[in-house]
Amino acid sequence: MRRRELIFQRVAIIAISFAAGFFVVFLTSSTPIESIRSFLTVPFSNRYFFGNLLTLMIPFIFTGLAASISFQTNEFNLGIEGQCYFSALIGTWVALNFGGIHPVLAIPVIVIVSALAGGFFAFISALLKSKYGVNELISSLLIGYSLLYVTDYFLEGPMLDTQAGLITTKTIDKSLLFSKIMSPSNLNTGLFWGIVFLIIFYFILKKSVFGLKMNIYGQNTKFSEYIGINGSSVIHKTFFLSGAMAGMAGIIEIMGVHGKMIRGFSFGYGWTGIAVALIAKNNPLWIIPSAFLFAFLESAASASSIFSDMTPEISKIIQGMIFFLVTVSFMRIGRKKKTQTK
Amino acid sequence: MEALFHETISSSTIILFAALGGLFTSLAGKINIGLEGLMLISAFLTPFFSQLTGNLFLGLMLSIILCATLGAFTYMLHSRYKANIFVVGLAMNLFAAGLTTFLSSVLLDSKGTVYFTLTTKIRPFDLPLLSDIPLVGILFSHQNAFDYLSFVLVIVIYFMLEKTFYGLRLKTVGFSHRTAESAGIPVKAYSYSAFILSGIFCALSGAALALPLESFVGNMTNGRGWIALVAVILGKNNPIGVLAAALIFGFSSTLANLLQINTAIPPKLLMTIPFLMTLLALIVYSAREKE
Repeated sequence: MRRRELIFQRVAIIAISFAAGFFVVFLTSSTPIESIRSFLTVPFSNRYFFGNLLTLMIPFIFTGLAASISFQTNEFNLGIEGQCYFSALIGTWVALNFGGIHPVLAIPVIVIVSALAGGFFAFISALLKSKYGVNELISSLLIGYSLLYVTDYFLEGPMLDTQAGLITTKTIDKSLLFSKIMSPSNLNTGLFWGIVFLIIFYFILKKSVFGLKMNIYGQNTKFSEYIGINGSSVIHKTFFLSGAMAGMAGIIEIMGVHGKMIRGFSFGYGWTGIAVALIAKNNPLWIIPSAFLFAFLESAASASSIFSDMTPEISKIIQGMIFFLVTVSFMRIGRKKKTQTK
Repeated sequence: MEALFHETISSSTIILFAALGGLFTSLAGKINIGLEGLMLISAFLTPFFSQLTGNLFLGLMLSIILCATLGAFTYMLHSRYKANIFVVGLAMNLFAAGLTTFLSSVLLDSKGTVYFTLTTKIRPFDLPLLSDIPLVGILFSHQNAFDYLSFVLVIVIYFMLEKTFYGLRLKTVGFSHRTAESAGIPVKAYSYSAFILSGIFCALSGAALALPLESFVGNMTNGRGWIALVAVILGKNNPIGVLAAALIFGFSSTLANLLQINTAIPPKLLMTIPFLMTLLALIVYSAREKE
């Protein structure tokens, strides 16, 4: 019953948010019907648009996982944005400098190095929390912001490809890139990486002892200590894993789509990941439809702005609505509990 | 030297306003992480409304009313609909970022920096008489209306919290809901008031950020709302302490700007200074508290 209620709520939230978005379209577009029609249909109209929609899901799967992992313990990793961006740079650096190695060996090395980089910076926040009691929410955010600037420094300076017109690094050797699976779109084998990690984390979060520990710690920290759970160890591992997924989000997209690090390519992925996790209620399997939704919003907005006078920022308004409604969605459950206990 | 001082003050003012807002909710026992979002909304709406109405004061008032409403809304979602306070704050930040980019694209047809034409300009000025006093005169010279206002408000809030019923009751609410209830204090009303005040102060903060520049650009608050949160923690729930923390953070961003002009250190690396100094201050504070 509760599960059905939850699904109903999610569908309602999404419907209300879309309705609100379309209402705004009616106010701002000169051809509202045409705009809405292209918004809803263009992403599904051909292989190119649909493939790119699925491509956009990949980073959202990883950042959504990153957020879900940390939320499971009720501790917030708000540095996903910076961890994702910086780790992508590190991974690109590795890819550019270790050309000679066989791809079967090199690709895992690149991904692992990126994951370690992301995990490391998230881990710092967990360490500061357990050692000095520093609020992890604020520390991860401040470190995340700093990482964005540090990454831009390397991108605009030491790692800049001076031949290119844009601010990018040199292009990674073709042998290290993922193969495309739905031409002419950008869809690539990175999607399988995403699905594999979703499954892995489904088992870790929902079926393993460690997942249970995370959950108990998140529900009631004092109780978890009482039954002998080492809280510090739980959040250390949790933040490391969360950061590692954030770290993979960027590099998987680079190896799958761009082939080089481009300035600002991942901006917003971290925050979207948090929204993905909220809709999915931290359940890795629910991240798939949730990531699909946000990928659809982004690609529908940008695709329909080509075919109508609608501004692509319309997706931002719908997302904003979803963010808010998702917090309210506890409404019914919260109320029901209340009446039950009375 | 004097320029350094004035720049520190104006950087601190923005953080200080938001931090004072955060101070109220913190006293009521809740952390409002939506400060950043409320500031951003005001940074767009205040100059926009001012341009629309042709009156700066009216524009500011409209923005204040809106942010106060959003502040109350934040608390409503938390208390009435049982939403996690951090998640609501986060939603506010994400919503604000989306809303402002959307509005600036639809209303002003611009995706980059938007420039406003304001009838009244916010410019630094000297306070007559006070600015002539030797040594202390520097405090009363070459600052804008928001800078002066922020310092007056620190004093007002100090007395409000220390010498009035309101302050004492608010602290009681933050200390324990049960104690407050048994003392006959309407807990909900006081919590709402704290969140409404945090909205009002964030509106002032956003205005102090955007009005002197007469422009808006997406995400122009750039983490200041978060730095303000740290200022609340370091200030130990005391307006004077919050002022001191805001000055330190204001100084760190001024320092970053100064080094950018005078040294060859890459500007992008210098831009991490305000964040890292804030983090360092928080670590030192938390470590000492823990001992």
